[in-house]
Amino acid sequence: MKSFQYATAQTIESAHELAGKKGAYLAGGNDLLGLMKEYLAEPDILVDIKSLPGLNTVQPGSEFWTIGANVTVAQIEDHADLSKTFPVLHQAATDVGSRQIRNVASLGGNLAQHSRCWYFRHRDIKCLKKWGTTCYARDGENQYHSLFTGNPCISPVVSNLSIALAALDARIIIQRDTETLRWSIADLYARAWDNPTAHNSLQPGDLILRVEIPHQDASWRGAYMQVSQKADFDWALASCAVAAQMDGAKIIAARVYLGSVAPVPYTVPAVTKGMAGKTLDAGLAAQVAQSLLADAEPLSQNAYKIPMTRALIQRTLLQLIA
Amino acid sequence: MNKPTPDAGAGHVTRRDFLKSLGTTAVATAATQAQTIAEQLERTRAEKILGPGPVPISLRVNGREFHLEVEPRVTLLDVLRNNLSITGPKEVCDRGTCGACTVWMEGQPVYACMKLAIEAQNHSITTVEGLSLEGKLNKVQEAFLEEDALMCGYCTPGFIMSATALLKFNPHPTAQEIRHACAGNICRCGTHPRIIKAVLKASGATVTSNLDVIPYASLA
Amino acid sequence: MPAWPDKPTQIGKRTLRVDGRAKVTGAAKYTSDVQPKGCLHGMILRSKWPAAKITGINLSKALQIPGVKAAVVVREGSRTVRYYGEELAAVAGLTRQACLDALRVIEVEATPLPFVVKEKEAKKTGAAAVWENSPNLSKPKVNEKGNPDKAFSEAAAVVEDFLSTPVQLHHALETHGNTVSWTDEGVIAWASTQGIFSVREGLAGNLNVEQSKVQVISEFMGGGFGAKFGPGVEGSLAARLSKMAGAPVRIMLTRFDEALAAGNRPSSFQRVKLGASADGKLTAFELDAYGTAGIGSGSSTEGGGGGAEFPAPYIYQVPNTRVQHSGVSVNAGSARAFRAPGHPQASFGMESMMDDLAVKLGIDPVEFRIQNDPSPVRRREYELGRERCGWKEKYRKPGSSTGIVKTGIGCAGASWGGGGGGTKAEAQINPDGSVEIRCGTQDLGTGTKTVIAIIAAEVFQLRPGQITASIGDTRYPPSGGSGGSTTCASVSPAVLDTCTRALQELQTQTGIPDARGSHWLEACKKLGVNPLVVSGQWVKGLSSSGVGGVQFAEVEVDTGTGVVRVKKVTCIQDCGLVMSPLTCESQVNGGIIMGMGYALFEERIMDSESGVVLNPNFETYKLPGIADVPEIDIVLLDMPERGVIGVGEPVTIPTASAIANAVANAIGIRVPNLPITPARVLAAVAKIKAA
Repeated sequence: MKSFQYATAQTIESAHELAGKKGAYLAGGNDLLGLMKEYLAEPDILVDIKSLPGLNTVQPGSEFWTIGANVTVAQIEDHADLSKTFPVLHQAATDVGSRQIRNVASLGGNLAQHSRCWYFRHRDIKCLKKWGTTCYARDGENQYHSLFTGNPCISPVVSNLSIALAALDARIIIQRDTETLRWSIADLYARAWDNPTAHNSLQPGDLILRVEIPHQDASWRGAYMQVSQKADFDWALASCAVAAQMDGAKIIAARVYLGSVAPVPYTVPAVTKGMAGKTLDAGLAAQVAQSLLADAEPLSQNAYKIPMTRALIQRTLLQLIA
Repeated sequence: MNKPTPDAGAGHVTRRDFLKSLGTTAVATAATQAQTIAEQLERTRAEKILGPGPVPISLRVNGREFHLEVEPRVTLLDVLRNNLSITGPKEVCDRGTCGACTVWMEGQPVYACMKLAIEAQNHSITTVEGLSLEGKLNKVQEAFLEEDALMCGYCTPGFIMSATALLKFNPHPTAQEIRHACAGNICRCGTHPRIIKAVLKASGATVTSNLDVIPYASLA
Repeated sequence: MPAWPDKPTQIGKRTLRVDGRAKVTGAAKYTSDVQPKGCLHGMILRSKWPAAKITGINLSKALQIPGVKAAVVVREGSRTVRYYGEELAAVAGLTRQACLDALRVIEVEATPLPFVVKEKEAKKTGAAAVWENSPNLSKPKVNEKGNPDKAFSEAAAVVEDFLSTPVQLHHALETHGNTVSWTDEGVIAWASTQGIFSVREGLAGNLNVEQSKVQVISEFMGGGFGAKFGPGVEGSLAARLSKMAGAPVRIMLTRFDEALAAGNRPSSFQRVKLGASADGKLTAFELDAYGTAGIGSGSSTEGGGGGAEFPAPYIYQVPNTRVQHSGVSVNAGSARAFRAPGHPQASFGMESMMDDLAVKLGIDPVEFRIQNDPSPVRRREYELGRERCGWKEKYRKPGSSTGIVKTGIGCAGASWGGGGGGTKAEAQINPDGSVEIRCGTQDLGTGTKTVIAIIAAEVFQLRPGQITASIGDTRYPPSGGSGGSTTCASVSPAVLDTCTRALQELQTQTGIPDARGSHWLEACKKLGVNPLVVSGQWVKGLSSSGVGGVQFAEVEVDTGTGVVRVKKVTCIQDCGLVMSPLTCESQVNGGIIMGMGYALFEERIMDSESGVVLNPNFETYKLPGIADVPEIDIVLLDMPERGVIGVGEPVTIPTASAIANAVANAIGIRVPNLPITPARVLAAVAKIKAA
């Protein structure tokens, strides 16, 4: 790594001030240190934000639950009440990395993490996402890449938690300078849809403070599933999160999001809106799966993601009535 | 909260600026002023910018206190192995993908290669050496030996850290839970089946240790 | 003449690994852990170009970085580099950070050259030439026997397919590396190696130092799998830096480096055609294969044992054959011997077609193999194995498994040499009864130390824990490198001979007729002050060569997602006299798991456009994890009459073949390419749906 200064912020304002123009926030460090070891990130100062007050608790609420940005993925995985109320979040957390990673990985960091595209992550390749001129994956090795994108970069979002939180209609609270933003997950990743150099909509200096999840009563059900090559400690080839308010097998409202297929947690609002009032069965699940993937544009090596994701969507939906 | 003024330099609140901002508030008692000054100074001290050159740090490893000077960019793994000669944790990938460097921070398994030494301060650190300080092996180490859950042994310290932590948290895990807890540890020699067996044994479960060696001559 | 005992008390018994305690406590010092006083860190600068003419390397800025004590170039003068990652220069410094900073300011003058990194591209006319004076595709070596064309036309059934296997990386957990101290007194090198004497020879030669002044030590090392012979470019660099800096220097490769420049298993692209008569006898075989050993396919072969050729038709004898092999050079790191070089590729092509042919003939695949396998031992192993795994109940016509998750079963056989020779050993018996056996051999996790202790304990009628097995030092009596599965068969006879002589000597010198067991302490006491030191060596008649082995794999294939899970592998393995069943079984587990990685996950991926290795890490070069490993059932066939034979390699040969056959059995169509990824499974399943 290039050498840097280090400071431990005690307040949000000083975190921002300390980071300045060329610094970076240090929470869990999995993503940041990984980038820095390849010299893909060279901040002049690392501002440790783990001591910031009020960012490391899980607060239940009758209206919404609050999870601080510094809560670790392991804490989410192990939190009994949180897991019971939001099984989709629990399952997504379980599948993040390894136990060692989950023990330090922060919720904020998981949401903000950078692309895992192997061209982006390669120290000697200047791809489009790094302000180069070419997306190497398009005509190259694209087996892990997107089926949908709005820009020349085809690297997909890989944060498991983003997919689950999208299904839960969570709000992400971010401090941008003196402003406090309240974004949906869609807002958080919107810039990545259009902009090849963007991983998400965050700007330098932005600090994720917490996530607020609307409370769900017993009429809500949720599930998260992913397909990986290895049985554990492997990135998803495709992932799916669903949350639905149900009356028996009848859907009142549903949200379905897909991960690892687009730069953003992917959904088709017309399709999920159309699920309302219908009975969830194998037929509907198949229909929804087909429709969600209708606009998929496979590349030379990732066409397999279409049948894979189709099967995945169906299975995840049918979990709700299992 | 007070926002440092632009000309104060990154993160450093001058006493002058601080006192200036104090003056704009409503009348405060001397005691409150003193208390807030103390808090502010404490915060300033805690937010001190360190590095990029070597910085004095203290680490508490296996119950011992170490004082050394390292740059902020030095990882905990680097310090353990190269400054403190604690070589149980191994460097295999340096990217948080293989678990050979697994140590405990406050009893939780973490990848030492992905932790800066400077941020590991004020957290108790345990390496595999710390599990048998008085020369007595813990249950997991004993079981690894008995079930031959190791070959070259390079991944072994990391697995033992993950497995021992698991048993503290979940004293009677299933094989599936053992797999999930140790998924972050890689072995190339292929000792996994015996690791699962060893951890089950260490948890008190009965394991069958069968070695099927059949004399070829007995096969008619 | 020493002989293995008829009724052993230690040999063949379950013995705990003697160096286990050191390993579970973290006390064992591996090459990367050894820290001689004043030791500096060393790092290597590697080529960023897949091909380039290097005309200048400027180290001056690097030498100015605080803490840097030395810097050298690999070779003076202009040179051509031929792969991304080829070594250019190295630095040594007080800290890793100093070295990292130094590497970044080394200036390299380079003119990029055209390059090609994929086999299919490299074969084409007009492709960039990897070596100036030779074509990328070598002239095929053709071997013909009988009349294959006639035999095919007369065969009752013929199958043919195009199969491929990837470039596989060794990825031992301890990277390649050495700590070297080069002073006027000579060279001491702590090496992570499978061959301490190969390192000694290499260093002495490269550095122009007398061999008697070069000592190599490797007491504990973190895996090799064939890639760690000789000092490597890194070893000589460490030595030169050490001389320049006046201090020991340790260079350990990074994980990134291991994917580029530390060896690999060549790929294979095979057209295999197989024919048989109606009664199920193989009559015709044709193979047209090529593969890449990186730049090693061309005029230069680094490391040896890494060519793209392989034995065909592998373990079967077919009267009419035509075999054609070519090597393809690409701009990538050279191959090196990798656990059973050539055999997994050979097995995959042949055993896949054996299954397809059996199906076409309507013959049970195990029965078909028993009919055609020339090895009586393997035939018995198939019979035993199919009982053991319940083949008759589990085997069904291909694709007849119902449901979305389909089950299947498959099998394959292996053949390997594993003989030994040329080892000397020394026994030191001390007056207090303690015993040390010294031998300049290696223990890669294979259990060599334990085998040595077992044999000494057997001869002296002591416990293995009472024996100190000292290995891994060129000052000890020499042994060969630990490759080819030859260590056990080389070391065991030498230790038996040594201990037998030592016992005789002890008895003669002390006048105690039987010094073993309960008489041991009394006898040793009579030695007086000086210990008894006796030499011995490998003798014929205690070991041999040639093992078989068969494996059965049971899989579940999710035809919705394409994911394959191996549920169980059953292995029946012979390896002569089983010295240490506990550590022997660990070898079998290891070989099977490595074979599973080859079958399902592992593949070095090159990028055509940039010429780099795209997956130089464990994130995207996927090794089997603990959550992936199947149930493994092992039966070792003890054949004491054959003496000691090695087992490290045969156990990894048939695994991928058995798994591939099981997948084909499950889904009713073959995935002829390794690794069998979900993408490939889904493509194959789609073919069935379309048909």
